[in-house]
Amino acid sequence: MRVPPGVSETTFRRALAEFAKVVGAEWVFSSDADLELYRDAYTPFRDRPEERLASAALAPDSTEQVQQIARIANRYRIPLYPISTGRNLGYGGAAPAATGSVVLDLKRMNRILEVNERHAYALVEPGVSYFDLHRHIKERGLKLWIDCPDPGWGSVMGNAIDRGGGYTMAQYRNHFDAHCGMEVVLPDGELLRTGMGAIPNATTWQQYKTGCGPWIDGLFSQSNFGIVTKMGFWLMPEPEAYMRCTVSVPRYQDLMPLVDTLNTLENSRIVTGFPDIATPLLAYPPVGQVQLWNETGPPNLAPEHQALLRDAKLGYSPALEAYGIRQGIPYWQLWVSFYGPMEVIEAQWQATQRHFRRIDGASFSVVDQVRMPVDESRIFDYHEPEFGVPSLRAFSIGARSPWNPTPSHGHMWFSPIIPRTGEAIIEANRVFGEAARDLGMPLFTSFTMPACFWERAFIFILATPVTEDADTNRRYVDGFHKLIEIGGQHGWGEYRTAPMFQQAVMDVYGFNNHALMRFHETLKDAIDPQGILSPGRYAIWPKHLRSTRK
Amino acid sequence: MNRTWALRAVIAVVLATGPSAAAWSAQPEDAAGRVVYERWCSHCHDPGLRHPGTNALTVKYRGQKSGVIREWTDLTPELVRFWVRNGISVMAPFRKTEITDAELAALARYLTRTGALPGG
Repeated sequence: MRVPPGVSETTFRRALAEFAKVVGAEWVFSSDADLELYRDAYTPFRDRPEERLASAALAPDSTEQVQQIARIANRYRIPLYPISTGRNLGYGGAAPAATGSVVLDLKRMNRILEVNERHAYALVEPGVSYFDLHRHIKERGLKLWIDCPDPGWGSVMGNAIDRGGGYTMAQYRNHFDAHCGMEVVLPDGELLRTGMGAIPNATTWQQYKTGCGPWIDGLFSQSNFGIVTKMGFWLMPEPEAYMRCTVSVPRYQDLMPLVDTLNTLENSRIVTGFPDIATPLLAYPPVGQVQLWNETGPPNLAPEHQALLRDAKLGYSPALEAYGIRQGIPYWQLWVSFYGPMEVIEAQWQATQRHFRRIDGASFSVVDQVRMPVDESRIFDYHEPEFGVPSLRAFSIGARSPWNPTPSHGHMWFSPIIPRTGEAIIEANRVFGEAARDLGMPLFTSFTMPACFWERAFIFILATPVTEDADTNRRYVDGFHKLIEIGGQHGWGEYRTAPMFQQAVMDVYGFNNHALMRFHETLKDAIDPQGILSPGRYAIWPKHLRSTRK
Repeated sequence: MNRTWALRAVIAVVLATGPSAAAWSAQPEDAAGRVVYERWCSHCHDPGLRHPGTNALTVKYRGQKSGVIREWTDLTPELVRFWVRNGISVMAPFRKTEITDAELAALARYLTRTGALPGG
């Protein structure tokens, strides 16, 4: 029997019996077969000593049960590792950060407590998926949209707590920013509500975020200071229409003004949807078409085009640029989208074109104009999350397809944040591209484009494949560590990462002798002195494990 | 043991001990199983290449059989249970808090009923 570190089998059995009294024996999982389901399906370390494994799992059904479990865990010093839907695939899945932890599986807490159309918000429990919330809204005919990431089975709450993103308007697609109010079970079992929810008869818990005094919600994201059991989210009123357009520019150097102009337009709320930068000449798709490429393969390029690409350095050669201009293949193509009344978005598109005309040779086209409600039976004609419609198309990444005969066993997301400039895109390609080639990593192999999830920064989100070969996986993990380190040397850091990389990533955030991590540890010791909650999550270890685990 | 070989060994056993084709006479559709299918499987396994499971299986079987699992006539309840609890490639296994054992049994009944065709 696997037991938590420092806990005897007898004690552990006693604790499990107590947990069973709270959740029912049916919802305590400790057999080998059941614990198989709490392994990270995408681990590169399957059956290796580095794999992080649970000692048991518990599945409570209510906040009160979570409180009781926290109190028992303190009594027996049992580490708990909460998961919401357990589908954080590529970032650790349902497995704990520290082997021997008991996974607190919150999937059964799947109530949609409120969807308020008048004030455009939802209040949900951890087990509610994007599919669930979308279905709930559709069934009731509410004129509201959710904002979802690509995989629709993820937790609305869990994704926000791990600070994920989506594809609609900037203020909704940053999922943590879009939340309003939390209910949290602290490590000692105490119940806390944040923001206006701290007022006993709160009437605006989901309408005003910060309440009064320090705003602490951020402490419960990417951390181990509390178990979030309810969370509010602002939803987007269904827009009257959607329009997607492209801005194409012919020369390599046009990337710089293209990004700068986009930034001004998006920060001025003229471009309101998800912007997406592709490079047809360098054959890199917009994020919204990655799945299409995974499904059907990349476009066939003319032999001359392929030869020029092979000879290009950092995506550039004068001959390649001349070829693109001759053939009418844009160097860069920005996809912009708009939500709102048609007369407003047409005016926004006019203004957008006027701004981009300062780039000599810029050309424009309208790709889609859709009046709502969108026909969801034809949703695959579009990039469905841009309509707030969840799907699982994203799992074409690594899956077998007509052009990918060797499916992967998952992937590890490498996702550094870089400045939102053309110069930074080129510099990141130089730095990471060179390093990835030297390390034999299948990342940044040609010119790679970042994504525009966040309004003020770019992010690369690149899938490092997990293969059947343990040595290859080890090499990729070592390479991943090296890329984190190299990124840090250039002032770039990951926005989110799997437990196996959390120490390395947090080490990059080391200003003033790791003042930030030392602050986290001070909080950890005060809030969770027994260290029962998610030891090691985002490299925050409780005092008794700090010296040995770091 | 290498995971692929472990899978193959288990599948071989399951195939060898599964019910014969004659055992799957047409039965009424399992409504509870259909709900489980639609909630957990349809997003990847419904017809069309926008469904990554269907895309993968279409390529894998190269016309020998459909890429749509609801059209398969050689599925056994044991195989359904095996894939749901073990996963394959980028399909992660499903926990009992997602699909309970009772729901899995219903899903297996639904998928092994002859004529569990799309839209059927």
